[in-house]
Amino acid sequence: MQRIQQHWGLWLTLLVITVGLIGVGLTRVNAGLYQQTVAKVTAIKKINHTATTDEFNNKDATYTQWVTVKVLNNRHQGHSYRLKNTYTKSQAMDQDYRIGNQVFLRIPSEKDAAITIQGLKRDTTLAFVAWLTLALLLLIMRFSGLMALLSVTLNAVLFYGAIQIDLATNGGHLYTLFGILAVLFAVLTLWLVLGFSRKMLVTLGATIAGTGLAVIISLIVFSVTHERGVTYEAMQYVTQVPKPLFLVETILGSLGAVMDESTDIVASLFQLQEERPDISPNQVFKSGLQIGHSIMGPLINVLFLIFMADTFSMTLLYLRNGNNWGYTFTMNMSLGMVQSLISGIGIVLAIPVASWLASRLMPREVTTA
Amino acid sequence: MSTITVLGLVLFALMTIIGGKTGATAFLSLIFNFALLFLSIVLISWGFPAMGVSLVIGTVILAFTIFFGEDNELAAKTAYIASLIIMVALILLIFPVEHWIMAQGFSLEDSEDLEGMSLTIGVSFVGVAVTEAILSTLGAIAEASIAIAAGLSEIIEQHPHVATKRLYIDGISIGKQIIGTTFNTLFFGFFGGFLALFIWFSGLHYSFGSVINNKIFVGEVLMVMFSLIGVILAVPITTWVMTLEHRRAAKLKD
Repeated sequence: MQRIQQHWGLWLTLLVITVGLIGVGLTRVNAGLYQQTVAKVTAIKKINHTATTDEFNNKDATYTQWVTVKVLNNRHQGHSYRLKNTYTKSQAMDQDYRIGNQVFLRIPSEKDAAITIQGLKRDTTLAFVAWLTLALLLLIMRFSGLMALLSVTLNAVLFYGAIQIDLATNGGHLYTLFGILAVLFAVLTLWLVLGFSRKMLVTLGATIAGTGLAVIISLIVFSVTHERGVTYEAMQYVTQVPKPLFLVETILGSLGAVMDESTDIVASLFQLQEERPDISPNQVFKSGLQIGHSIMGPLINVLFLIFMADTFSMTLLYLRNGNNWGYTFTMNMSLGMVQSLISGIGIVLAIPVASWLASRLMPREVTTA
Repeated sequence: MSTITVLGLVLFALMTIIGGKTGATAFLSLIFNFALLFLSIVLISWGFPAMGVSLVIGTVILAFTIFFGEDNELAAKTAYIASLIIMVALILLIFPVEHWIMAQGFSLEDSEDLEGMSLTIGVSFVGVAVTEAILSTLGAIAEASIAIAAGLSEIIEQHPHVATKRLYIDGISIGKQIIGTTFNTLFFGFFGGFLALFIWFSGLHYSFGSVINNKIFVGEVLMVMFSLIGVILAVPITTWVMTLEHRRAAKLKD
């Protein structure tokens, strides 16, 4: 019976993977779904290129190409246009188009205004990588992979909802809104991973307490040091008051890692107690710290590298634009650094909290004398 | 003192109090990793090829993260070899994908920050995007392979004659335990930091179609998915390396 089930599981996985691959292919012909005008590059002709040197002595080159495109949807479907595209060797904001690329076009209604290429259509590549991730996940992890995916999807939906509420209230209740959201995230995720149990409640308590303590400590440090060196003005894409936004970003950013760690510690301690029912709460606490030792370093590094990698392009640009290391760091990396440090504090504090809660709240064998 | 210094001191103190010697070395690995990251940007800005820099720096970052955080020698060695294999596999994926999707450099949303800057700096931003993607996955790769290697080495310690096939089953089952929470670490780590951008997208009523083709969004989602793939690959690859190590150790004993 079980063998038949496994058999079906494999076939179902293969079916999902095949259907997914067809889906990836379909994104090449989905122009009809777009409101923007989509066109396909049918021919390319290089015109000329000139070497350039900017005021910081950076040597680059500018190329000009004729791009022939054929419109795939909307009013101008079937029309071909020949457009001029200029790009640089470094391709910071422009790019070299190649035959077969699909692009978005802006076709103004006035006759004499120029038609421009607005950018590459990237959905096929994105769908391909998503498909590859999903296929590997299902092939190697089967059902557990599906659950992991489900929890991420549900969290994304919650996240989207919270942003809509935030916009509706003009960012006025950012702390309350995302504070509640953080708790909801934690409850939902841990419920999916652990099921509703005492283990889940202990983990939830540790997650919330660890993150909360980290925020309190950071706020104290912020007020003692008068936020010296924290350059909120360097924050990117800000449309609301930066400081609360930064704190909320930091809390959300570290939430997953703190949950990850608390789950590991609490699960191991519950298992330990199952194997040795006579273990004392103090011993449980000590074992918890021991488990935490080896988890915290790698976990802090995970977040650190994620936060810092995002600043790479801008930092490089600053350096090549004649700024010194100190200024470049302050303007680009200092916020990521503060974020990493606060997350690190949360990750470290969750260890004793999780161990202590587990050691006190674990179900004990009732020793009948 | 600046806020960063004080927060750093607080973190160092906490890691030392709670983690003892392991905690202190883990903090050191953080500082080394920062120095390496900064060094890699400086090297690229000096004109070194981005691929070479990410390969060399990546190898060193993995070593610092793994050997400074894990005490068990067998686990650390296995995790390191496995991480290197995964890194190379990911590079083979990241390189063509980044050249295909062209989500490098900056987007219109960055315009304000770019005011007065020269963009013609003669460094290929596609290469920089490759480096960014590779470096951002390293932490996740290291963490996953350490978790699996540590779990398996404990099993080997308790049952020194465990069969290879059994190790595979155990490796996958450890993987199943960590995959759910690791996914969430990555999801929150990447998207929590991009709250401002998502508010921007929603506030300016970007259509779904514009978002999934947006340079910044696509670049970020790719990084998450590369990390996820790294974590998924860590499960069979770390297990496989562990079986090789285990077999070799068994042979040495005979």
